[in-house]
Amino acid sequence: MHQTPPPAPVVARVEGLSKSYGQGAAAVTALDGVTLELRRGELTAIMGPSGSGKSTLMHIMAGLDTPTSGRLWIGDQEITGLGDTELTLIRRRQVGFVFQSFNLVPTLDVAGNIRFPFELDGRRPDAAEQAWIDTLIDSLGLRERLRHRPSELSGGQQQRVAIARALGSRPELVFADEPTGSLDSRTGREVLALLAAAAADYGQGIVMVTHDPIAASHADRVVFINDGRIVADEGRMSAAAASDFVLGIEVAR
Amino acid sequence: MSGVLRGHGATVLVAALAAAFGVGLLGATEVILLASEVGPLGAIDDIRLVLGIIAMAFTAIAIYVAAIVTTNTVSTIVVGRIRQIALVRLLGGTAARQRRRIAAEGLTAGALGAGLGMLAAWALVGALVLVGVATGNLPERDYPYLVASMAVPVLAVVLSTWLAARVGSRRVLAVAPIQALVAAVPADEDEIRGRRARIVWALVLGITGVLLLAFAVVLGQLTPFALLIGILGGAVSFTGFMLGAVRVVPGVLAVVGRLLGSGPAALLGSRNALRHRERSTRAAMGLVIGVALVTMLVIAWTTVRRIALDQALASWGEDGAAEFDAALGPILAVVATLVGYSAIIAAVGLVSTLTVGVLQRTREFGMVRALGLSRGQLRRSITVEAVQLAVTAVLIGVVLGVAYGWVGAQAVVGSQQVAGMVPPQVPWWLLVGVAVIAGILALAGSRIPARRALRISPVEAIAVE
Repeated sequence: MHQTPPPAPVVARVEGLSKSYGQGAAAVTALDGVTLELRRGELTAIMGPSGSGKSTLMHIMAGLDTPTSGRLWIGDQEITGLGDTELTLIRRRQVGFVFQSFNLVPTLDVAGNIRFPFELDGRRPDAAEQAWIDTLIDSLGLRERLRHRPSELSGGQQQRVAIARALGSRPELVFADEPTGSLDSRTGREVLALLAAAAADYGQGIVMVTHDPIAASHADRVVFINDGRIVADEGRMSAAAASDFVLGIEVAR
Repeated sequence: MSGVLRGHGATVLVAALAAAFGVGLLGATEVILLASEVGPLGAIDDIRLVLGIIAMAFTAIAIYVAAIVTTNTVSTIVVGRIRQIALVRLLGGTAARQRRRIAAEGLTAGALGAGLGMLAAWALVGALVLVGVATGNLPERDYPYLVASMAVPVLAVVLSTWLAARVGSRRVLAVAPIQALVAAVPADEDEIRGRRARIVWALVLGITGVLLLAFAVVLGQLTPFALLIGILGGAVSFTGFMLGAVRVVPGVLAVVGRLLGSGPAALLGSRNALRHRERSTRAAMGLVIGVALVTMLVIAWTTVRRIALDQALASWGEDGAAEFDAALGPILAVVATLVGYSAIIAAVGLVSTLTVGVLQRTREFGMVRALGLSRGQLRRSITVEAVQLAVTAVLIGVVLGVAYGWVGAQAVVGSQQVAGMVPPQVPWWLLVGVAVIAGILALAGSRIPARRALRISPVEAIAVE
């Protein structure tokens, strides 16, 4: 089969991705022929109303779920059709996650949570990696909290620990699922600025799934999804413009 | 299982095991009495009374362990239902009424389990009698299957299950209506308030018991009746230990957990037991009781044997040792088996504790699977938790059993000794046997919860409700 490897700056790519649940007349299509490239150093927001398929797209691109049809790559590696064990290793080594809530292992302290991806891989961070983790800890203001358990942290602090963990092992891709969903607006802005800075300064590809136009306004690129299809792929836009766009989709439904 | 018994599967099973044990023992006693037909009728009645009391004592141990297990099961059910309880509270229901409902569920589960256990025991004794008569090992008699005294274990199981459900549902009173509206998973730290009185009692009983035990050892140098003081000291000190266990067992769990490794799988498993200190303590203590009792019997037996042989070897010779073993060995085996039965009930509790723990950590497992925890690592983390609980229980049980067994032996035969005290005799086969049983228990016990955990889909688990 003829295969074109994605050009260097692309960190992830999907081609003709479809996902449906159930069979026959009861089948529900969550994704319908989605093709998308994510680039290094960019914070991409994926927006869409509830049930639009944006979470399914993220889950599949992150190797958490498998598509019904279509192909996908992370970096230069095609991950279509890989088994559970291979996908687990991909997630462990090449993908970082920031969830809306319940991000951290409750029984580990902050330092343990940040180190967790390394421990999963059965190794300790080397000197360079430890220096990088220290930089993250300082810039995220977590130095004083290293020995604290997640239950002793505020929502914003927990989210910052999750970001430190997601960036710490320098994965090519970081997925953030409604990262500001459970935060107050000031803390939410801080977290968004951090994600944008991480993409710009450290060159990782960061994808943020959100239905919050303010969150989307921090992104370098905003992709709109509706009924399982990409309906628009825009550059930077204001919160008002993003809001109008989503409203337009909702009304046209 | 549906409706009122949802989540009470372990309670029904545990009640059935305890009731079957009590009814079965009484039924078997009756069969043995009739089959052996010892002496005139009056003598039978005396022996029946003695054997009945012994059977009740063994049953009491089993019921006690069953009650501990059920307390744990019910308290975990309550944790799983906090949102639902809070919603009813929000809509105007009282906490007391909610708690009564859960206690009533416990009563139903206990009655169902006791009934099933009774039927199972009848069937088993009946089948054994049929086989025994058919093979000629039992004389043909009109064996009665129903003895009035069987009502005692059955009622005791029902009542103890209801009581255990009441104790286990204490937490319902602490559920605030607002918890129905909070999206986040509530912190599951155990509440430790109001526990000072309990600790004081634990210390008072523990110290008194140990002093009585020491007194029994000293008195044992003079008279074998010191055993009575020893039994009292054992009961008092163990009650103290049960009360204070939540302050001791987690420490042992932590040490054992550290020995089990520091990889992510080991950490996820071993740290979890420490998150629910009361739950883990009860799960371990159920097992401790069985292990301690069996160990106590074996240690007492081997130590008495050692002392007796030291004294009598000159006059008895080598044959004396063989006679001693032949006379008392089978009795020891039977008694140890009957006492060890409670370990089966505790094992059910262990599996149930682990399984509920898995179900309550669905979000956590989904998250760590997303982060790259492999299926093998997930399975290992649950095995680690099971091994940690089993090893902790066995360690504590063996230490307690050796101490109690040695004190008992000293109290009985200390006065027979010529040259001071004999150190406790710990036979290697006991340690190997206990380690093997703990290993089998942990590996088998972690299979069901591990299968549940592997069925968790990361995508569904991390989806926000």
